[in-house]
Order: sequence, then C-alpha cells, then structure tokens
Amino acid sequence: MEGKSVYKVPNGKLLKIFLDYNKNGCITEVSITGDFFAYPEEAVEFLEQELKGVLLDRKSLLEKINLVVNKNSIQFIGLDAEGLVHGILMCKT
Amino acid sequence: MKEQWRLLQTGFNKAFANMAIDEAVLINCSRGKVPPTVRFYGWSPPAISIGYFQSLDEEVDLDFCEKIGVDYVRRITGGGAVFHDKELTYSIVIPESHQSVPKNIMESYGRICGAVIRGLGFLGIESSYAPINDIVVDGRKISGNAQTRKMRTVLQHGTVLMDVDVDRMFSLLIVPSEKIRDKLISDVKQRITSIKNVLDKEIAFDDVASSMKKGFEEEFDVELVEGTLTSGETAMAKKIEKDRFLSKDWNHRR
Repeated sequence: MEGKSVYKVPNGKLLKIFLDYNKNGCITEVSITGDFFAYPEEAVEFLEQELKGVLLDRKSLLEKINLVVNKNSIQFIGLDAEGLVHGILMCKT
Repeated sequence: MKEQWRLLQTGFNKAFANMAIDEAVLINCSRGKVPPTVRFYGWSPPAISIGYFQSLDEEVDLDFCEKIGVDYVRRITGGGAVFHDKELTYSIVIPESHQSVPKNIMESYGRICGAVIRGLGFLGIESSYAPINDIVVDGRKISGNAQTRKMRTVLQHGTVLMDVDVDRMFSLLIVPSEKIRDKLISDVKQRITSIKNVLDKEIAFDDVASSMKKGFEEEFDVELVEGTLTSGETAMAKKIEKDRFLSKDWNHRR
C-alpha cells in the first residue's frame, strides 16, 4: 500500500513523505523529503533505511526515530521527531 | 593587521559548475589548502536549484525548464527550491573551528546573514535576519540562505535578489493544485522583494558585489583579497561537476 503526505511542521518547514507499507501496518519504504535542513544530510538516508519494518504507530515510530537521531547525532532544523511521526502517520489513510 | 580571506568573483556560470565550485572550495578548505573564502557569482542560463532533501519531480516542472532553457540542479545543502535569475549568489567556506563561526548552527546562520545585511545596508537597504534562513526587508524576503557542514568545514550559500519575476518562477515550479495557483502567486508576490523593488531602480551586479564585499569585511573584521581558484580546485570542480551535478543519479535521487 502507498501513501503520501504534505505536512507543514509547526514553526518549521514543509515536509513531504512518500510511504509504502504492508498489510501488517509496517513500513516497507519511506522517503523523507522537503525543504528542511538536517546535519549530517546523509543521516536521513540512514534513517529511511532504519525505518523499514517499523510498525506504523506513534510510539514505535517516535522510539525508533529518537534512537537513530540520538545515536547518529542528527540535528534537524525546521523539522523534529514529532513532525516526522506526524507526517508519516498522515500517509496512512 | 586584519586577517585576510580570499575573495572569488567567478562571474556567471552554469548551475552545475556553480555548485561544483562551492563543493571544491569546501573540500580544499577542509584540507587546509585554501584560506576561508567568500565567493560571489551569478547563473547563466537561469536555473532552479532544489534542496538536498527535496524531490525533483515534486518541485520542478522539468519539461517546461527544458523547453525554455532553464537548468536544474540538486544542491548539497538543505532548504527549498530557488529560481536563480537576476540575483547575486554568495558562498562562504570557513573551518568550523574558526572563531568567527558560532558552533551552534542557527547562530552561525545569523552571523553569516549579518554580512549580507550589512552589504544591503551599503546599498541603502535596511534588512533583518528572519530565522530559519531568510533575510527580509519590511517582512518581505530578499535573501534565502542554506548551510551545510562537512569535514569540519562550513559552507553557506545564499541569494541576494536583484530583481524577481514571480510569475516566471511559478511557471517553472510545481504548485500543489492549479486551483490555488493564482492565490499562491499573489501571496508570494506579497512575501518576496528585491533590490530593484526596494530602491525603485536597478543596481548592477558589480555594484551589489562591491557592497557585499564591504558587508563581509565589516561583519567578520577581515580583509577580502581578490584571488582565483587554485589549479587543484579547478580540476576538482570539473570532476565534481561531471560526477555529481550533471548526473541524473544525483539530481533525481529524490
């Protein structure tokens, strides 16, 4: 199944997510796009990889994103973990 | 004696060469081969650059760009899509460890934008920094900026709009729906300005550049000494242009 969302992060940038997920409600592919900033940039690709297989619910997503962000010292500007979770969940209709 | 930084005035180039030069300077500065560098440049032909994280197909009407001869390129910096036409673009490359650059990324945006604000001041334009990455005159955007940090080195580049054609800009960018196109264009016309709009007269590129030079010198208390790319930088830029910025893999990766 496929989904797409456009979400203006409060006080941040415009996040556009493209999502593929399976019938169990787990992410099979996610693309995090938009006009935000992230340091280092390449870490977002890593985050996309790490999100594969994660269940599409608020708690699981937030936990995984925070884990990857902390472990890799990712710094977002114009985006945050909450915003990402919101954008991803918006893809699920 | 004031610290000396290098000033590059590379004139007007294609988008791919422009982005490659910024990256080549970044790499060479990170290796200690060149001093902190400020560069002023323009775009010929006009081009759209998109941010590192943007989807090219989602943002840019590629067929129309090709039809009217506007190039498009993905930047190594985040941020949004920009139509580069009548503008001066600056870039600054400086080691993260340099005392002039705050360690905090948001603070460093403010500091570097301070140089552009001073430069606009020399043109008689009062502007201010509008976080995250804009400079505004009376609330209307005149400059957008984007920064990356790699190999302990900062690269920030940004636009200084000399003139702006919002209708043309939106003919090249994808809008969410045709229904809201007119509304979007009129909103953006309210939110964006240019040197020409503010002063009600055109200022030549070279005059904007000399004001910006003074702005950077004053903000960072340095002397900008006009120089050229090293042969190493030139060769590296050529390679990066071909391997990255001219490649479909890079530009279409999102």
